[in-house]
Amino acid sequence: MGTENPGRPNFPMRPSSTPFASALPTMTPFSSRGPMVGSEASNIRPIPPGAPPTMTPFSSAGSSPPTRFSDPSVPSPPITSVPSAGGPFQQYPTPPFPSTVQTTPTRAPPVGQPPFQPPANQISAPPVSFRPQSQVPPVPMVSAPQTVNFPPSSLNVPQPPSESLFSGPRPNFQPTLPPPDLSYSTTKSTFQPPFPAYPSKQPAVSQVPSPFPAQQGSFMPPPPASSSPFSSQQGSYVPPPPIAAPLGYQSRDQMQHPGSAPPIGGIQTLTEDFSSLSLASMPGSIEPGLDYRTLPRPLDGDVEPSSFVEMYPMNCDPRYLRLTTSAIPNSQSLVSRWHLPLGAVVCPLAEAPEGEEVPVINFASTGIIRCRRCRTYVNPYVTFTDAGRKWRCNICSLLNDVPGEYFANLDATGRRIDLDQRPELIKGSVEFVAPTEYMVRPPMPPLYFFLIDVSISAVRSGMIEVVAQTVRSCLDELPGFPRTQIGFITFDSTIHFYNMKSSLMQPQMMVVSDLDDIFVPLPDDLLVNLSESRNVVETFLDSLPSMFQDNVNVESAFGPALKAAFMVMSQLGGKLLIFQNTLPSLGVGRLKLRGDDLRVYGTDKEHILRLPEDPFYKQMAADLTKYQIGVNVYAFSDKYTDIASLGTLAKYTGGQVYYYPSFQSGIHGEKLRHELARDLTRETAWEAVMRIRCGKGIRFTSYHGNFMLRSTDLLALPAVDCDKAYAMQLSLEETLLTTQTVYFQVALLYTASCGERRIRVHTAAAAIVTDLGEMYRQADTGAIVSLFCRLAIEKTLTNKLDDARNSLQVRIVKALREYRNLYAVQHRLGARMIYPESLKFLCLYGLALSKSVPLKGGYADAQLDERCAAGFTMMALPVKKLLKLLYPSLIRIDESLLKPSAQADDFKNIMKRLPLVAESLDSRGLYIYDDGFRFIIWFGRMLSPDIAGNLLGPDFAAELSRVTLHQHDNEMSRRLMGMLKKLRESDPSYYQLSYLVRQGEQPREGLLLLVNLLEDQMGGTSGYVDWIMQIHRQVQQNA
Amino acid sequence: MVKMTMIARVTDGLPLAEGLDDGRDLIDAEMYKQQVKALFKNLSKGQNEASRMSVETGPYVFHYIIEGRVCYLTMCDRAYPKKLAFQYLEDLRNEFERVNGAQIETAARPYAFIKFDTFIQKTKKLYQDTRTQRNIAKLNDELYEVHQIMTRNVQEVLGVGEKLDQVSQMSSRLTSESRVYADKARDLNRQALIRKWAPVAIVLGVVFLLFWVKSKLW
Repeated sequence: MGTENPGRPNFPMRPSSTPFASALPTMTPFSSRGPMVGSEASNIRPIPPGAPPTMTPFSSAGSSPPTRFSDPSVPSPPITSVPSAGGPFQQYPTPPFPSTVQTTPTRAPPVGQPPFQPPANQISAPPVSFRPQSQVPPVPMVSAPQTVNFPPSSLNVPQPPSESLFSGPRPNFQPTLPPPDLSYSTTKSTFQPPFPAYPSKQPAVSQVPSPFPAQQGSFMPPPPASSSPFSSQQGSYVPPPPIAAPLGYQSRDQMQHPGSAPPIGGIQTLTEDFSSLSLASMPGSIEPGLDYRTLPRPLDGDVEPSSFVEMYPMNCDPRYLRLTTSAIPNSQSLVSRWHLPLGAVVCPLAEAPEGEEVPVINFASTGIIRCRRCRTYVNPYVTFTDAGRKWRCNICSLLNDVPGEYFANLDATGRRIDLDQRPELIKGSVEFVAPTEYMVRPPMPPLYFFLIDVSISAVRSGMIEVVAQTVRSCLDELPGFPRTQIGFITFDSTIHFYNMKSSLMQPQMMVVSDLDDIFVPLPDDLLVNLSESRNVVETFLDSLPSMFQDNVNVESAFGPALKAAFMVMSQLGGKLLIFQNTLPSLGVGRLKLRGDDLRVYGTDKEHILRLPEDPFYKQMAADLTKYQIGVNVYAFSDKYTDIASLGTLAKYTGGQVYYYPSFQSGIHGEKLRHELARDLTRETAWEAVMRIRCGKGIRFTSYHGNFMLRSTDLLALPAVDCDKAYAMQLSLEETLLTTQTVYFQVALLYTASCGERRIRVHTAAAAIVTDLGEMYRQADTGAIVSLFCRLAIEKTLTNKLDDARNSLQVRIVKALREYRNLYAVQHRLGARMIYPESLKFLCLYGLALSKSVPLKGGYADAQLDERCAAGFTMMALPVKKLLKLLYPSLIRIDESLLKPSAQADDFKNIMKRLPLVAESLDSRGLYIYDDGFRFIIWFGRMLSPDIAGNLLGPDFAAELSRVTLHQHDNEMSRRLMGMLKKLRESDPSYYQLSYLVRQGEQPREGLLLLVNLLEDQMGGTSGYVDWIMQIHRQVQQNA
Repeated sequence: MVKMTMIARVTDGLPLAEGLDDGRDLIDAEMYKQQVKALFKNLSKGQNEASRMSVETGPYVFHYIIEGRVCYLTMCDRAYPKKLAFQYLEDLRNEFERVNGAQIETAARPYAFIKFDTFIQKTKKLYQDTRTQRNIAKLNDELYEVHQIMTRNVQEVLGVGEKLDQVSQMSSRLTSESRVYADKARDLNRQALIRKWAPVAIVLGVVFLLFWVKSKLW
């Protein structure tokens, strides 16, 4: 819309004039203005009479704080009044606009018409908030900017979004602005002054910067450089910095509408409700009127929904529990209109920042206080009555007696007087020390068992050496000293056991070659206490690599070895780490090559490739879980190893799959070392079970993630840690819920490494609503995407990839259509696409999901093993990590490397994420692409040789696939390594290996980076713009 | 052979430590553990038990000693020398008191000294084989007297509580029933009285009636 400029001339006083400001890119300050914007927008309405309404994009500006809008009155109002009368506008010579106009395609009509008469309606309409100004209508915002100043490159530069908005009302401005400038000239500087002014006026309005959904104009491309912010139509994305923009948009939108002109008031409410994108083509333009730069992007990463904690301050932190919407529907019919998943994502052991650790409570002889009927644990939402002698369960509302030892008097307001000494009555997350009733056996010791493939390929890749070294270096840090138990089995075509009795000097190896009838050669000492047998274990690990260095055995008796490990471990349970380098070829559980048959793809048999081939694996996984054994699979092969089958072991035992295709210790060693060390040393919960309870009338019906379901709602998790999350969906049992609030309680009963049995309890409350709009407002994109991801991956196990992608798209479309229907009648939306502010990234993540490794393309797009491994990984990822993987960050770093003494304080500034389009890449730049699992460092073709030389040392001209990044003795290299280190520290669950690639280096560049620029069109998949158009079209069909 | 080892606080039956991988290869491990728990519960009820005792159960024997309000219990084969079993428990007791002595009274959670399991496991191995030189020497050592240690049957031991319950139940039933009996006896008494005098009264009544009628008629 911004383009609309044309309208300008007329601007009536309204502050709207501000819009022009947009032109001024410089104005970064805007952010504060934001609020104003909203108001203005409303005012704006100008309608180019003739103008096709199509353009109206509503800016969601207000979106963030809906409340504000609601009171229209808010900040903006004042402003509006201010507006110098149209006078200023007049100044703007229409002429300029025209020119602009050209840039902006469609708008043309408005342009000329200087005087916008505000449509009568508008005026009248202006209820509340709008001031008279509303009439101002025409003010087309910034159209001018169009000057296509922005070279893509410029984009990089973060610019303040020039929200035209600013231009604001002040009369002052007018003078200042030389009309010409306004229009296009980059010299917007002049304007700046005005801006300041705004702020003052609207001080209050701090806007939520980030995300402006699409509104057109509003998003300016970050790069300030190009002064003219607006790309034609929609604005570019707003840079993370705060954006004042909103105002601008709205105004534009309105302007466009004019004809349709919903009553102004309506608009306001509208803006509070949703964001929109104008998709219609502008008149005269053939291309769809969608500018990729204005599309919403999560450049700030995941934002946890604040409403969850704001409404119920005693809720647990969203890092532990996130609901897909914090407004639970009250009836079946409402549920059926909510086409997105309804449920929760739970990460029970998420790492808490320093100082926010979960308090541990020991009730000792009192016993844990729980509801008699529903077994809910006491939590902050229970109410005490009867002078403190009874408490009412918040989940089933049964009245329970308070045990004598737990009794406390109530004060006048009905609160217990000892509240401040009872963390379980104040905090949403607590841990109880479990009494004997919660133990079927004494707490088990932490136990690590290693099952290592020593066939020839494992030896050659160097895997054994890295594993042995890493395990040895972690011996001191294994949790649970002095009880920790450890054991090893190696195998090729035979199985090797190791006696590590503490009295021995050296481990004794025992070889069992009877694969059909596995037996354990020794009753004891295969599994030993680490602190006692420390020397033997160390000797073993030191000699392991050399023991097998001449091994030429190519077979792999994986199945029998697994059984043997199971027999050794079954007494205690624990964690089994499997290092597998080849396809299991001997004994039970042998697998055959599959997946290289191109013809299977696209047929009904396709999904079978992604399922375990041999029922042995699933059966084995069930047995392992039963005996509290969790499996982590490390797979290394360069050839097909049937991860689909091996991964099953991890999937049903709450483990995880690490996959290092074509492992070479020289290249991937560091990654394996880090990830294995993390796996061994992170805090782990043993022999755990988890259950989530919720209030009457709703029920959790399906669970998604890596675990085994023990009864209908009890997840068995033999070993669980902070990097695992579980998702679940809920459904309504009763047709109508009558309560106001519903409560959720996650309880994880586990044994800590120190030998204590504990129950971790997270409690949360959510409101029950009767209104679909409210559900959309409170939706949490992260949780929804996480559930979508798991559902889609599960679907690939029973259907074709295509079906999985389609069903994902269909659900998004249905949800948006439902949303559109909610507002379409009320506000004529024309061709705009609207979506709730809370879900503005949903489409993008949907696209990212369908381009993610487990779901993308067909046969050739990803190797079967890679696909399966990624699927297993994504099924367990916590929300934040998943979103990072779906929309990785792309950061330009050459400038900050050159800057003198860039220190830690501006680390944040450097880390400005760019949209994932090829245009973000400047051939003179150096970029890091970070998806949480790897770094890809991209060297532009015209990058100064200086930088390349400094970073890569003497081999900077060599082929980059053979070069590894290591520190050189110069400032720049040190700074880069420091930067990478910081990025890694911010996300320690995986190690990001650096891949170097030079622009134009084919096919490496394409494989590594280009294919991951998910907003671009790549071989048969749609780009972001097409995707939006496609969704929009489908939303409108049979809308 | 030592099959299972448990250490618990006598005052409240709270388990403090247990041998690692106890109950391996034992078919009814769960049942025996239940018995041990019941035994601890009995002890915590404060009945005056001997501080050393052997309790037979099926093919096995529980041996326990109570020292410093902690009960050390092990389960062995019947054939396993009693002497060795008690030596084993003494070893555990010495080490346990040395390491954890101070905290025993304050322990608030079950298995607070689970770390002791590694020592239990280590010691157990020493006693596993009765024919080692070391164990034979111990057997021959007459210093440790085990003859006077009482052996009872588990049913008997666990039954003690049960029987007491039964007795009190019976006696309470007795009181309530005797009360009923008293009531009924009183009732009967009255009935007997009525039965005894009723005919006389009736006869007299008839006589008087006759007299009255007679005097009226004439």
